[in-house]
Parts: sequence; C-alpha cells; structure tokens
Amino acid sequence: MTEPDSKTVLIADDDADIRELVAYRMRRSGYAVLEAANGEEALELATGERPDLAILDVMMPRLDGFEVARRLRAQDETAGIPIILLTARAQDADVARGFGAGADDYLRKPFSPQELAMRVQAILGRR
Amino acid sequence: MRALEVGSLVLAGLSVLFLVVLSLQRVRLGMSERRRVELEARLRPIALALVDEGRMPRPLPARVAGELSAILDRYSRRLRGDARARIAEFFESSGAVDEQVRLLRHRRAWVRADAAASLGAMGSKRAIEPLLAALDDPVRDVRSAAAYTLGRLGALDAVEPLLAALEEHRIPRAAVCSALLDIGADAVPRLLGLVEHPDPIERSTAVELVGLLGDAADGRLLVERLIDTSADVRAHAALALGRLGAGDAAAAVRALLGDRIPFVRVAAAEALGLLRDSEAVEELLNQARRDSFEPARAAAEALARIAPERVAAEAAQPQPAGPHLLEAADLIAL
Repeated sequence: MTEPDSKTVLIADDDADIRELVAYRMRRSGYAVLEAANGEEALELATGERPDLAILDVMMPRLDGFEVARRLRAQDETAGIPIILLTARAQDADVARGFGAGADDYLRKPFSPQELAMRVQAILGRR
Repeated sequence: MRALEVGSLVLAGLSVLFLVVLSLQRVRLGMSERRRVELEARLRPIALALVDEGRMPRPLPARVAGELSAILDRYSRRLRGDARARIAEFFESSGAVDEQVRLLRHRRAWVRADAAASLGAMGSKRAIEPLLAALDDPVRDVRSAAAYTLGRLGALDAVEPLLAALEEHRIPRAAVCSALLDIGADAVPRLLGLVEHPDPIERSTAVELVGLLGDAADGRLLVERLIDTSADVRAHAALALGRLGAGDAAAAVRALLGDRIPFVRVAAAEALGLLRDSEAVEELLNQARRDSFEPARAAAEALARIAPERVAAEAAQPQPAGPHLLEAADLIAL
C-alpha cells in the first residue's frame, strides 16, 4: 500500500496496541511508518530518519511527549517536523503545555483512527 | 528406627514427585502461553482489518474466537467513533453480546459481575437496558461493574439511576463519579436538573460533576447552591464555579469566605484563586493571617495565584506575615 515516494510518519507510544492501531491506519493512508516505544527512541528516530510528521504520546517512559516535542523544536534539523500529541491528558493546561512545547495539533485518547488520519492529511497536505 | 527410615524415604519421594509435577506444570503453562502469543500474532491483522476497515472475520472456533475477543477488548478501550462501533457490531453479530446479557442473570455473582464488565469492552448499546436493571442487583460488586460499564457505553439514561444509587448507598461514590465522567459533557443538562434535588448527596455530586464537565454558562444554577443548607454542596458549588471560570459569580463566592464551616472557606479561597479575583485580595490576606490552618493555607495559595507580588511584599514586612504567607512567598520564589 505504501507508495515509493510516500511520506513517513513517526509513531511514538509505549502502548503497543495504540502503535499497531495508528500504524495500520497510517499505512492504509499510504504513509511509511516508524515506531518508537519511548521518548528517547522517538528522539533518536526523528533525528536520524527525519520523518515528515510525528505522532507522540504524552505519557511515555524516559522522555515524555512534551519534552520530545520541545527537543525536536530546539534542533535545527528536526525543528520543522509537524507534531501531533495523542494523549489521555486533555485538561486545558495540558493542551496549552503541548502547544507551548511546539505541538501542531492535539488528539484525545480514546481516539478515532479516521480523525487522526484526517488531521495528519490536513497537516501534510498543507506542506 | 526402621519406621523412621521408611517415613523419610516416603517424604523424600513425595518431595521429588512434587518438584517434578511443578516443573511439568511450569513447562505446560509456558507452552500454553507461547501458543497464545503465536495465536494472537496471527489474529492481530484480522482484528486490525475489522477495526479499521470493517472487514468481518469468518466464523472461528471457540478458542480462537475467545482470543480475538480479548484483542478487540483491548482495542475497544483505546478507540472511539466508527472503529469502536465496528467492534460493537462484531460482538453483536457473533452473539457474544446476547450471551453476556444472559449471564447478567447467572446465579453466581462473580459471573454476573464479569458479564457486566465484558459488556463494557463490547461497546454495544443493546446492553444498556439490561445493565440499568443490573444497578438493582443484590450484590454490590455486580452493581458497581454495571455502573462502570454504563459509563463506558456513554449511557445518558443512566445519569439519574446512578445518582439515585449513590444516594441510597447502593454503589460506591467512585464508581458513580467515574461512570458519569465517562458519559461526559452530554450528561451536564441532566446533572443540572439534579442540582436542586432534595437529597444533599445527590445535589453535591451533581454540582461537583457540573464543575468538571460543564462550562461557564452552566454556572448560573450553581450560584444558587452557594447558599445551600448543606455545607458540602456550598463547598462543591464554590469549587465548581472556580473550575468553570464563572467570573460573574466571584462576589457570591467571596461571601463564602465568612462561612462558619472551615472546609467551605477552604473551597471558597481555592475558587477565588482559580477565578483570579483581584477584589478578594484583602479578605484573603485576612484569612491567611488569622484563620485556622487549612483555610489560612488555602487563602495564601489563592493569593499566590492572584497577586504574587503582594504575597512577596507581605512576606518581606518586618512584622511576621504568618507561616502560610511565608510558605506561599517561598513557593513563588522557586
């Protein structure tokens, strides 16, 4: 299903079920997928592979999603990667913190794969 | 002597036999888990195709279907929208929902509780009516499981029965609140209808939940609860107004700083802090200096939100500002 010049999406979540569900939907939408099970791995993959977009869970071991987003924005080579935060923490303060860390969008768990795909499409379609 | 030797030999033999049985059991469990993991790996693409594309699997043997159900159960906790609806459709068409509904009337309580919990994972609205009936089950664990599941199913019709069950102490408060929070903002109109309920427990829970699920426009009815006869309701109304950011209600909340019940004064101070009510500064300073421990501390924390520079100035005065203002000033300086 992945096209030769397809865009790459990084999915970082310590919950393997969430990674599977998101990865399946992204592949069906024609994107190549990179997966990370914690924040450090996500940062390494993002720096090394330069995905076109990153979907980050907020509550991850080692580095949380806010910190990964902040560090991605701080590095020149990853500063332009759009970030969608996917999290169960949906208080206003958390949303504000996510945007403050550099996230482009925010999706609440439990999530709808279709909605996530539309948001990814909306962000990548603008670029 | 001979009997002792024979006894020792028998004991040693039994010990060896016991160890062999244990080892075999461990090997058997390991193999069974390995088979389960392999089966799950084979079933995951089927589960993903069902959830994402709505591709229904063909009929499966019972053990395999059970494993697929376990995967879908996990997925359903993580999903909403069409994907979750497809899981419900699968469980409905496979007969699993009807089977679990039937088990809600099983003679053993643990089977009924397990059925109530399983119905939550299946996500079928068809289970709402039988689960509402299960709120009257003779066993508390079954009633609680039904409450949690009604929340997961977003069952609006469960709002009033859940609060009635709380009032009658039939279901723990944690289960009722969790269910109502799961139902979410859609429950607010029904909760607003209960903020004047004759029972203070129902009033206070309804008020608290409106504060968590509603928005500032819902604050109008809560202002009247600031003069409720129940101190618990007054405290929850103040906090709810603070959380909702109902700035119009600040003057009414300020009046609660003079309430005779300490925990109401604590709630009023917290609410004024959340509302960033600058007109409350002098009264909060007074409370922070002179009130008993908890209300004084809450007042100092509220001041730290509203007027941090004033807290710092008070703490720097030659006369002691009191431990709570000093603590608040220290926290601001961090």
